[in-house]
Amino acid sequence: MDGSLASSDPGPSFAKPPGSSGDSGPCASRSSGPGPEVEVRALVSMAGGLYPLARAEALRGLAAVVEKVGTSGGAVECCYGCAVELLRDEDQSIRLAAVRLIGLCAEKFAGREEVSGIGNGDQMDLIFLQLSSTARDMCMQVRIEAFNGLAKMQRVSEGVLLQSLSKKVIRTDTGSGSICKANKLPPKLIFPCAAGIFAHGIEDEFYQVRIAACKTLGALAKFSGQYAQKALDLLMDMMNDDTEAVRLQTLQTLFNMATYGYLSVQEKHMHMFLATLIDANAIVRNAARKILGLVNLPKLQMFRSALDGLITSLEKNPEEQDIYSILFSIGKNHGSFSANVAKHLAKEISTAPNGELILDKHRIQALLIVSISAPVSADKHKKLDIPSVIFSHAIPLLGRISSALGEDIIKDLSYLCHPSGMPFAEKGLMSGEGGRSEFWSVETMRGTHALIEKTRKETNCSDEVLIMGSMRLMLETVEETWAMRESCGIEEIRTILRTCKEEVKLIQLENSYAIGPTSLDILLEKLDTYVRRMKCCYTGLNRELEVQVLELVLLANLFRLSKFGVCSKLMLDKLHWIINQLDGLCADGSCEFSDFSNTVKQTFDANVIDGTLVVDICNFLKIFRLKPAKDFGMLNAASAVLQVLGNNSENPLPYICGLPVGVSFDISLSNISGHDRIWIRMNSGQSIQHAFLELSCFEGNDEVKSCSTVIPFYATPLACSFVLRVCLVIECPSGSICTHYEEHGGPRDSVVQLCDELNVYLVSTDTECKN
Amino acid sequence: MAIECLVLGAGQEVGKSCVVVTIGGKRIMFDCGMHMGYHDCNRYPDFARILAAAPETTDFTSAISCVIITHFHLDHIGALPYFTEVCGYHGPIYMTYPTKALAPLMLEDYRKVMVDQRGEEEQYSYEDILRCMKKVIPVDLKQTIQVNRDLVIRAYYAGHYLSKLKVLGAAMVYAKVGDAAMVYTGDYNMTPDRHLGAAQIERLKLDLLITESTYAKTIRDSKHAREREFLKAVHKCVSEGGKVLIPTFALGRAQELCILLDDYWERMNLKIPIYFSAGLTIQANMYYKMLIGWTSQKIKDSYTVQNPFDFKHVCHFERSFINDPGPCVLFATPGMISGGFSLEVFKRWATSDKNLVTLPGYCVAGTIGHKLMSGKPTRIDIDKDTHVDVRCQIHQLSFSPHTDSKGIMDLTEFLSPNHVILVHGEKPQMAFLKDRIESELGMSCYYPANNETVSIPTTQNMKISATEKFITNCAALQARDSLQKSDLISSIHLSGVNEDERLAEGILLMEKSKAPKILCEDEFLKLLGTDRHSVQFEPLLPSRIEEAEAAIVDDLTSE
Repeated sequence: MDGSLASSDPGPSFAKPPGSSGDSGPCASRSSGPGPEVEVRALVSMAGGLYPLARAEALRGLAAVVEKVGTSGGAVECCYGCAVELLRDEDQSIRLAAVRLIGLCAEKFAGREEVSGIGNGDQMDLIFLQLSSTARDMCMQVRIEAFNGLAKMQRVSEGVLLQSLSKKVIRTDTGSGSICKANKLPPKLIFPCAAGIFAHGIEDEFYQVRIAACKTLGALAKFSGQYAQKALDLLMDMMNDDTEAVRLQTLQTLFNMATYGYLSVQEKHMHMFLATLIDANAIVRNAARKILGLVNLPKLQMFRSALDGLITSLEKNPEEQDIYSILFSIGKNHGSFSANVAKHLAKEISTAPNGELILDKHRIQALLIVSISAPVSADKHKKLDIPSVIFSHAIPLLGRISSALGEDIIKDLSYLCHPSGMPFAEKGLMSGEGGRSEFWSVETMRGTHALIEKTRKETNCSDEVLIMGSMRLMLETVEETWAMRESCGIEEIRTILRTCKEEVKLIQLENSYAIGPTSLDILLEKLDTYVRRMKCCYTGLNRELEVQVLELVLLANLFRLSKFGVCSKLMLDKLHWIINQLDGLCADGSCEFSDFSNTVKQTFDANVIDGTLVVDICNFLKIFRLKPAKDFGMLNAASAVLQVLGNNSENPLPYICGLPVGVSFDISLSNISGHDRIWIRMNSGQSIQHAFLELSCFEGNDEVKSCSTVIPFYATPLACSFVLRVCLVIECPSGSICTHYEEHGGPRDSVVQLCDELNVYLVSTDTECKN
Repeated sequence: MAIECLVLGAGQEVGKSCVVVTIGGKRIMFDCGMHMGYHDCNRYPDFARILAAAPETTDFTSAISCVIITHFHLDHIGALPYFTEVCGYHGPIYMTYPTKALAPLMLEDYRKVMVDQRGEEEQYSYEDILRCMKKVIPVDLKQTIQVNRDLVIRAYYAGHYLSKLKVLGAAMVYAKVGDAAMVYTGDYNMTPDRHLGAAQIERLKLDLLITESTYAKTIRDSKHAREREFLKAVHKCVSEGGKVLIPTFALGRAQELCILLDDYWERMNLKIPIYFSAGLTIQANMYYKMLIGWTSQKIKDSYTVQNPFDFKHVCHFERSFINDPGPCVLFATPGMISGGFSLEVFKRWATSDKNLVTLPGYCVAGTIGHKLMSGKPTRIDIDKDTHVDVRCQIHQLSFSPHTDSKGIMDLTEFLSPNHVILVHGEKPQMAFLKDRIESELGMSCYYPANNETVSIPTTQNMKISATEKFITNCAALQARDSLQKSDLISSIHLSGVNEDERLAEGILLMEKSKAPKILCEDEFLKLLGTDRHSVQFEPLLPSRIEEAEAAIVDDLTSE
């Protein structure tokens, strides 16, 4: 009666599904039938039997039952009592099973406390002590199991925890003494059995035990701050362990503790941390860094030594770019310390003789990153003034570090452009067509739309602020220069003033960027690229899709316009051309003009006064609705494969410095029609060279064409070796409006990359002879 | 039956371990050591007392069933040749393979020192040692040996190692006669080192545990902390361009430190050379390679892949390297800078404050190591004419060979014997440990002085047959219990389930020349041929109502 009740109602929310229970016990599979207490009764009597194997099997069966039943009911108590009795059995497999069973029972008890809300701390402490007493067992598996069980404990009192760390018996009233009295323990447990189990565990002969002890040390840290602190001392010692797995587990444990905020590092621990930062193993180094990025260092000295450690690590392993992001987050976590670093760095920069301060030095880069992280730190309420000279030095590094820092931080970093007054060449950073070449698929248009909406909001406010800020800075610079005129050479001052002048010109130009590229510029450029690719690289677009793509092009251009409110002739021409194209497509009535295009068209027809457009662009953006395309038809993506046979960094091509070198390429193009204009772009350092590909020389049909040809590269540098980056681009027709490349010999219109950049390795014949 | 335990040495002192235990008429001698502090007849255990305790015989061979040596330290084996060759014991002697391999070297070394240097009278000759060793029967770990019809012994791994001497193959010994069983620990270590594991033993039913108690009161801190300090000091020294001198004896500590440094070098990617002075590696690592089964788990694991004693960063030291510039680490013999190569190097290197000398935890008085450890001397006189200005840093590093008080308690708790006897320790500390064992573990504990005897009662198991009826009765009872239990389980609280002790009533019948057996009351009556008489008592308690009421009220309030 009672039995059927219990089996049909196995505890409300904490019951595990029967499938998850261990399959070792013979009774585990029988979920229906007489109910757990019959099983428990049978198994308990078996566990008291004569034969060790039967006893062990009975305990395993009980474990399976415990896993299956709910937290309520007496079965768990019954199993627990049985396990406690067998904890000191002569046979190690029985002890092992008993320890495992106690661990399971403890979990159930904890679950029950959670449900009822009534904690029975004494009971938990008692179980903790019982498990602890097996942590010094002579059998390795028992020790491991004991530690695993301890890791699952909940609500253990601090006294017991502290005792488990110290070999010396701590005699306190809250410690084990009172518990033993309260529960009338057998005399064996009065012995302070928890004493120093972790101290022993981390010195164990078997690394498996050490790993388990280490995990448990970390898992218990959440119950007591004092314990966490002392556990850290032990964990620090484990970083010297001779087994790599243990060291890694230690770092993992530390990382977990740091994530949950139980890690308070003290000065004496720094030595170990710094040692792991320069460990020979990359995984260890990486883990150590991650921890460092999370911890809170209470002293400036520790902060500085952590920075030094990271810098040393960076110097030894410059390929590990994530150090930059760790530096950034450390700086962010310690705002006032980073401000201090920034101050010192500023002094260093100002005192350094001209040209001495090399930005390529890892130390300077690292310190710059720490310095610029200060303003985004949590302690914003304190006023942290970072010298502006830091920002101006940090700007050139932005491109290099942004990839290491990740997208989120880039957004944060846009503030950098504001206070820095450095003239800045936009080419260096523009993503343009270089670098990435993910193919844009029609399906992701929805995503773009969201992105566009977001950008639009940011746009309006940021551009005004940017312009004002840079103007103000420029005026300041001029003032400063005036003051400098006595101390510095006239040449220098002239350069500065000229730079300022040019910059002002830049700002005045309607279609140019204020200063430096902002995140917005990058986004716009990306958008342009993607839209262009959609337009040029897909053949077989149907009419409807073509209209949509053109609308997107229109939209992208409007965004550029929205940046300044007024627009240049060039821009207007471009817009007109697009609208005309749209017109052409919709002329036969097969497609409809959308509201958006219509409005734009009308506005443009009406509002152009003296070649400028006076209209609120935002109005257009509001009307824009993206109609998801239903029918994509047969889309063919244009692509190309570019190869130089037999060339790699091991087998470079020979050349003579200063003379042209011929490189033979194997090119195959797919889905390129005869009237497309394909160029091969070669660049090395600053020099870019375009060569037009005569499609008539190619063999094959419209779908796949191929050809091998020798193309000369003229501007070989005076170096012993160099890498030529080669890429195939397709020209995007945009009427007769010339936008991008003014250099002669290159494509007139903007281009889209058709393949990844290929590296061609060349080596000077002189060096070859020497070797 | 009782266990008689006669302590001939190491009772309330450290030195000449020797305990003679009599179990069920079988006499076993555990260890046969000598005391290094005495140079007279006190150096050996007083063997005559064995004969005095065995009135039935007059020679040692028949008085003692076997001698068991736990490890090859002189304070555990030193008196063995004397006992066999001079006193004339010819019975079996057991020791582990490594002990058997290394013991003759130790004994011969000491004999030479005794005779050649001190000019003492020869107690036994080299031939005596060899003859003695021929009688030794080597045993393996966990190998059970039937010494004679009743006596069974088995050796367990004790993990003991001592820095200045070569200890490998130390064992704990389990001995059993009939139902009486005991363990003699010898010296052991409960904390593993890098090259030797921790002691390992099973949970056995024991009447007696005889354990060493060198560190009866001390609790050692973690070895990790010591290692960390050592590595930090060495790393700091070499990174500032200094040289590190590690004076060490050939076996044990050198290997331990070498494994430690080699690991650290690998991890930190250090390129600074570590040198072994000539002779150290060859002699030292040979034994370890030979006896790999006696080392720690890590060494065993890696042994199949590569020899862990072939160190990657360690190379041989040439004499000409002494004056070379640049940092390095050097292991040199002998350990306490008492002379030889380490002294030579010390004289050159001690004058620079960049350099470091690492000393072991213990140095014999009179050596330079001892002088360096006592205070911070700036000038050390080597002999009348030469002296050294000491400017180098000194780092002290102790790797302890014995288990600490925590380890003793852990082992005792794990083995849970009925009685404990402490040997090999100092009296006040032993008294302290005895109190702890008695109060915390509830075992009776003794620490006899030399030549005292402790007698310990043993458990004795008896085979008893039971009649069929008795068994059926018990089974019926148990079934009824289980029924009650099932009721208990289905109710929510079932505290009493595990506390019942399935009692069964019966009558034990022991007759002369018949095996004892248990039978039921009815059967017993039948056997006696009498009827059942029952006597009933009527309890008559004088009581007063008022008092009873008051008592009830008291009970209520107290609850």
